[in-house]
Amino acid sequence: MSLENLAAAVALVGLIAYAVFGGADFGGGVWTALASGRRAAEQREAIFRAMGPVWETNHVWLILVVVVLFTAFPPAFADLSTALLVPLVIALVGIVFRGAAFAFRHYGHVVEVGLPATNAVFSVASIITPLALGAAVATAASGNITIENGAVTSGLWEPWLQPFPIVCGLVAVAMCGFLTAYYMTTRASGELLEDFRMRGLIASLVLGALTTIALPVAYWDAEPFWDQVTDPVPLVVMGAAVAMGLASLVVLWRRWYLLAPPVAAGAVALVIGGFGAVQYPYLILPHERIADVAAGDSTLAAFLIALPIGALILIPSLVLLYVTFSEKTGGPSAEAEEYGY
Amino acid sequence: MFDTVTSARALMGMSLAFHIVFAAVGIGLPLLFLIAEGIALRTGDEHYRQMARRWARTAAVLFAVGAVSGTLLSFEFGLLWPTWIEFSGGIIGFIFGLEGFAFFTEAIFLGLYIYGWDRLSPRAHWLCSIPIAVSSAISAFFVISTNGWMNQPTGFDVVDGKPVDVEPLAVMFNKAMPYEVTHGTLASYVAAGFAVAAVYAFAMLRGQRSDYNKKALVLALAVAAVFAPLQVVSGDLSARFLAHNQPEKFAALEGQFESEKGAPLRIGGWPDTGDKTTRFAIEIPKAASLLGFEDPDAEVRGLNSFPQDEIPDARLVHPWFQAMVAIGVFMALVVVWFFGLAWWRKRIDTGRLLLLAVIAAAPLAFLAIEAGWCLTEFGRQPWVIYHVMRTADGATPREGIAWILMLFALVYVALAAGLALLLFREQRQPLKPLAPLRGGPNVP
Repeated sequence: MSLENLAAAVALVGLIAYAVFGGADFGGGVWTALASGRRAAEQREAIFRAMGPVWETNHVWLILVVVVLFTAFPPAFADLSTALLVPLVIALVGIVFRGAAFAFRHYGHVVEVGLPATNAVFSVASIITPLALGAAVATAASGNITIENGAVTSGLWEPWLQPFPIVCGLVAVAMCGFLTAYYMTTRASGELLEDFRMRGLIASLVLGALTTIALPVAYWDAEPFWDQVTDPVPLVVMGAAVAMGLASLVVLWRRWYLLAPPVAAGAVALVIGGFGAVQYPYLILPHERIADVAAGDSTLAAFLIALPIGALILIPSLVLLYVTFSEKTGGPSAEAEEYGY
Repeated sequence: MFDTVTSARALMGMSLAFHIVFAAVGIGLPLLFLIAEGIALRTGDEHYRQMARRWARTAAVLFAVGAVSGTLLSFEFGLLWPTWIEFSGGIIGFIFGLEGFAFFTEAIFLGLYIYGWDRLSPRAHWLCSIPIAVSSAISAFFVISTNGWMNQPTGFDVVDGKPVDVEPLAVMFNKAMPYEVTHGTLASYVAAGFAVAAVYAFAMLRGQRSDYNKKALVLALAVAAVFAPLQVVSGDLSARFLAHNQPEKFAALEGQFESEKGAPLRIGGWPDTGDKTTRFAIEIPKAASLLGFEDPDAEVRGLNSFPQDEIPDARLVHPWFQAMVAIGVFMALVVVWFFGLAWWRKRIDTGRLLLLAVIAAAPLAFLAIEAGWCLTEFGRQPWVIYHVMRTADGATPREGIAWILMLFALVYVALAAGLALLLFREQRQPLKPLAPLRGGPNVP
């Protein structure tokens, strides 16, 4: 594999990791908004406890994707930023408010002082961020960005305010809710578990419906994307995504909870992997190929050497983090007892 | 309405001015709770464990704000400066990649530290503070080294306007890096030390002269005391570096318009760019030559000796420099005063004036960080990459950046207001007794 393809693969893996880990945190906001029934407060509380120790780490994957793009593909990063200015600004506002609301809420909990509306801010920001990011990623594959003589000529609004990017934005939101509900089934028990199981089943149906709708919308609205879908590799990956999605339904239906997180993560990874396969060998369909916008070999080599060295520190640390905080969050934690919440 | 370049600069400046506060706390605070919990572990003194716990939970919320505001910055590279990042991305990007790993490590161990008080053994818990402190300092090294590169760009050639033959190590270890990294990192420890000290000084000033408050004050000031004097030395070395390597910036920060042998050091004063002279300054004869070149008769190049479209605006550099130096000296004096008096009287003295000085030093420490960063950035103008790319040429072609500027101004105001309210309310909470350390030395 050439260096630039390897770098693009790293960006895709980073995006998948962001979706699989960070997506679940956004899903936490979705279910905070949709918490209902007698156990609404418990649902919110369980989600908050599960997210607390890990959300900032999960968030770093996004930064990794951005860094890979501007290091390995500087012209594409510049053009994507210019073309997607508005949805990226929306996503950034969402990211700032989501993170701040979460941190403020946790902190307020510990010190027993609250700020008004943190739940509402957290929920709204958690929904608009994946919506905007999903739309932005889809726009890059839609053919709606126009580039002439190396300069972006499409406007601020029309490339992404189109059916295909919007549907993909909704897919991203659904994915987040789907992941959270599935992950929470291993962390909840009793009636709370039933709540998350039901939410997981609904979310998987919604996600399935939206991804199914996305294909005809692509045919109708995003021709360059559609032209690439029909290649064998994307078809195989997307077929696998469909199979994994169906498997995820079965897993929750049969209450095989231990399988729920890996199957849900696998389904999401395959959907995004399929998206990447469609886009290959382009970064911006149909204008900028990976090979044409890659940085020099010395840059790519330095970057790709640094990655495994970093991973040597990263992976054991990540495992330590997730293992330490993987148990059920149903009962009150020692800290909760100590601080009386 | 501002034009695009002005708006982009204002937005980038605002974002960095906001982020730098949280970055500095994120570097400095972990060292403080590392030390406090270490003392608790060694001596079994519950007070130090209380401190570590309190500082860590404050660090958590500040680190979160730092993380999201830092994310904003990484996107702004492209949203505001696409031409700059298109050129620089392939050169300095890998440093941000390494910084990403440092950031990952910091976030992971901070999560373990903050949420792991009762899930990890006391020793394992304390050990988690080490990677937090180390990786935050390494992050500072990476991020500031890229700023060093923008001031002293090396490690690449330009062919057809594109960078080629990038030498990553030469880029990272650029000439400005040692000076900027040292100065920026030390500043973070000093500022965090004073910020924490001020909280307890304030409590003591209001009559809460408990043992706990006194111990916390001494510990935080001790950290500031180690780094504040070093910072004065590092500042001196940095100025000498600029005298030799970025003479325009040196001239601007000294308010030096005409080239002059035996140039005076100007304290205060206002650089009048119309008349090209610095007015109302107290001049110490030959001191600028001496400080810049270790020779009282050395020639200091003035701003007039450079092409006039390649010099910074001294009005945006000289005053910041004055503010930074004055605050730096003040902070060094405060710690000398505090610990000198303690040594002289053989006990910790916390007189009213001394406590007021400590409280004043905390906001000033952050003002000094902002001032130092402003002089670095304004002093490099009109270049975004010194002698390689002009700031105006790096900006986005998009219109309407002023709207985004206003939007984010509101976002930052909301964030700062929420945070201030939260921290203010927290300080009014009484201390709560902690459960005994599990397996710790104080368990009977």
